[in-house]
Amino acid sequence: MGRNLDLTQALIEAERCLYCYDAPCEKACPAHVPIPEFIQSIRTGNLKGSMELITLANPSIGVCGEVCPEEQFCQSVCTRSAIDYPIKIRELHKFVTDNVKLTDLELQLPPLNGKKVAIIGGGPAGLACARELRRFGVKPVIFEKKELGGIPAQEISKERLPYNIVREEAKQILTLFGAEVKDKKISDLQDLLGEFDAIFVATGLTEELELDIKGVNLQNVHTARKLLKTIKSSLRTDVGKRVGVIGGGNVAVEVAAALKREDPSRDVEVVYRRGLKELKAFKDEIDEALELGVGFQFLAIPVEIKGENSVEGLVVRRARLGAPDESGRRVFEEVEGSDFFIPYTDIVIAIGQKAQEIFPEIKKTHNGLIEVNENFETSVKGVFAGGDIVRGASTIVESVSDGKKAAIAILQYLQGGKNV
Amino acid sequence: MFKKVDLSIDFLGIHLDSPFVLSAAPPTDELEMAEHGLEEGWAGVILKTTSVEGNPVELKNPMMSSFGPMSRKVVGLGNIDLISHHHIDVVSSRVEYLKKKFPNKMIAASIMGASKEDWQNLVYRLKKAGADLIECSFSCPQGSMGEEPGKMLAQSIEATEKVTRWVKEAADTTPVLIKITPQVTDIVEVAKAVKRGGADGITASNTIPSLLGVDIYTFEPYPSLFGSGAYSGLSGPAIKPITLRTIAEIAKNVDIVISGNGGAFNWRDAVEFMAVGASNVQFCTLPMHYGFRSIRDLKSGFEHYLKEMGFKSPSEIVGKALKNIKNQEDLVNPKTRSDIDLDRCIGCGLCYAACNDGGHMAISFDSKTRKPYVNEEKCTGCAMCMQVCPVDAIKMKEVLDSNEYYFVERR
Repeated sequence: MGRNLDLTQALIEAERCLYCYDAPCEKACPAHVPIPEFIQSIRTGNLKGSMELITLANPSIGVCGEVCPEEQFCQSVCTRSAIDYPIKIRELHKFVTDNVKLTDLELQLPPLNGKKVAIIGGGPAGLACARELRRFGVKPVIFEKKELGGIPAQEISKERLPYNIVREEAKQILTLFGAEVKDKKISDLQDLLGEFDAIFVATGLTEELELDIKGVNLQNVHTARKLLKTIKSSLRTDVGKRVGVIGGGNVAVEVAAALKREDPSRDVEVVYRRGLKELKAFKDEIDEALELGVGFQFLAIPVEIKGENSVEGLVVRRARLGAPDESGRRVFEEVEGSDFFIPYTDIVIAIGQKAQEIFPEIKKTHNGLIEVNENFETSVKGVFAGGDIVRGASTIVESVSDGKKAAIAILQYLQGGKNV
Repeated sequence: MFKKVDLSIDFLGIHLDSPFVLSAAPPTDELEMAEHGLEEGWAGVILKTTSVEGNPVELKNPMMSSFGPMSRKVVGLGNIDLISHHHIDVVSSRVEYLKKKFPNKMIAASIMGASKEDWQNLVYRLKKAGADLIECSFSCPQGSMGEEPGKMLAQSIEATEKVTRWVKEAADTTPVLIKITPQVTDIVEVAKAVKRGGADGITASNTIPSLLGVDIYTFEPYPSLFGSGAYSGLSGPAIKPITLRTIAEIAKNVDIVISGNGGAFNWRDAVEFMAVGASNVQFCTLPMHYGFRSIRDLKSGFEHYLKEMGFKSPSEIVGKALKNIKNQEDLVNPKTRSDIDLDRCIGCGLCYAACNDGGHMAISFDSKTRKPYVNEEKCTGCAMCMQVCPVDAIKMKEVLDSNEYYFVERR
């Protein structure tokens, strides 16, 4: 059964769902999509009803249907696994969103109540927040200098996430929910607070972490996200024939796969300090990369990038795994005297992202992320925040969930703390 | 290589190598099909119902439709078929041919007439051709011919007795089965009329008049022939419980041989049919769905069942369940309680939902452990929870004289 179910396959799969009471899949979904309910509606042929349920819970349905790591969330706790194997929840979700468009449903929005909220950042969290606010009569204004959609629009490769899905979803937030977009960089929050009733900061992580080893300034040392943006924009990269990608997260695996797809004759290796089990990237992304022929150098610590002007290779040191740390992940230890050289034409740095230094008046954590309370409130009254700028690098569905929940918190704030 | 149980039975003096025969239906409407079925191992065929020449039979296609869950499994098969468009001249020659080719198989035919002359003519010609048995369709869902066209003959006690007498008079020593419909007020009265008329047995029962469905967007009934449809004869697993009751009710009240027909879909169903009083079992929807090869598992499953249970012959199970079928008011009232095996429980909470919204609010559900618990004070033992448990982790238990009695019902 492939990713795209036809009606018969969807019905057979939906029949397998037990329709659990108090379903664990629904609890495990950050967006709390009512999974047994939407599957029950597939079972009865009520696809529009199913779409309504999904849409109400998740403003970013199309994107999540494509790239949500279901094995980490809903499907990982499916009760059906105790009998045979989990329900293919994401496939069923995708079946509904592929077969029913939001425009097929009749939206009924309340009249605007005169309140306006500024949303800084047009990624998954910002868009979700905008939609939720409008659902309750508040006018959302999104400030975004780049393209709407955030990382899904700009960096996830089009093979994994078709561009039109992101664009369509962002467009719907604008057209159906009447959100406004302003192409303006915000420098002063207080000015904005004079114009708006509240602010939601969802700027995400825009800066790449830098690797502190010799040779990072050589030609042919690239940053992962810049390469992904180039590829996503259908431009060709100037990357050579033997590439080492340093990192072990989703971005590292994604960029390695993208480079392999661009030129299958190119040797691409992910260089990672720990082993396969410790890779942070999602399993389906790793599987896809392996299928494309991406190689992995495990237990390899980058020590120095060699070369005169251009990259000639990477010196790495062997690592061995020690005891698990507090998070349960095994720590790595360097093996003295084990250095070796791998000839690469290009090095890609993909060791993570950090927040841009913004809004000094807002209190930050030691990682430079925005600190919020359980209501997504920052240290500045009237300013809320969510998504990666609060969580650090996370999944789209978690950002969507933040945007949704923050909208409810903002609505309560606008009503003087009353429940909406 | 494996030890076998003799599955053969004597059915109205006819030797059958197993109790399983092909009923008078589409699978026996062509000579090649009947031959194929017998070659695959069916014990006999009843050729599709025929009539005298000159009786026009105009079939309308598509004639089949089905219903089931949304994934479209055939739970019920609907058919707007009539009797065969092959008349008695064709059918009697087929009987003759098949009897020669398969001397050890039961070669039977089914008939429907409009008058005494027709019925008796049909019988004479089949006898002459060498038919082992003659079945009379008193119950085609599309109606009978003759005095009250459109109405099923077996819905009239008088007509049933009268026509049975005509047929048996002509058949003489050739065994006669009367195929009746469950669509009557009192099935026992019909069966008694058949017996009074002198038939050797009853085929219980035919398909059931039904309306398979309506397209909710065009309001066309199924099957739709350019927008219009007709009532169908319903067969398949959907009607098994109705047939079981029909057979049991006749077997408990009338001393007559019964051929079970209508809804048996596997060897387990066949055992049930026989346990409530059928001496053999006819099949139609099963081969229509999966082909004649389905006889292999029918015989194999049945044989292993007999071995496991220590039965020496299929006849030993006929009617074995009848003594246990009583009126509701005559049943004892065990003090049962739901007994959940928490080790088997997978935590779906369906028992909780069923009990709280459809039972007696006796089951609670711990969201943290994801396990259900029974409040014995509130539990009446209705068994709804047992019906919905997807992993059969629930039984009904009664503690009586310090002994535990379990009620475990196969769904």
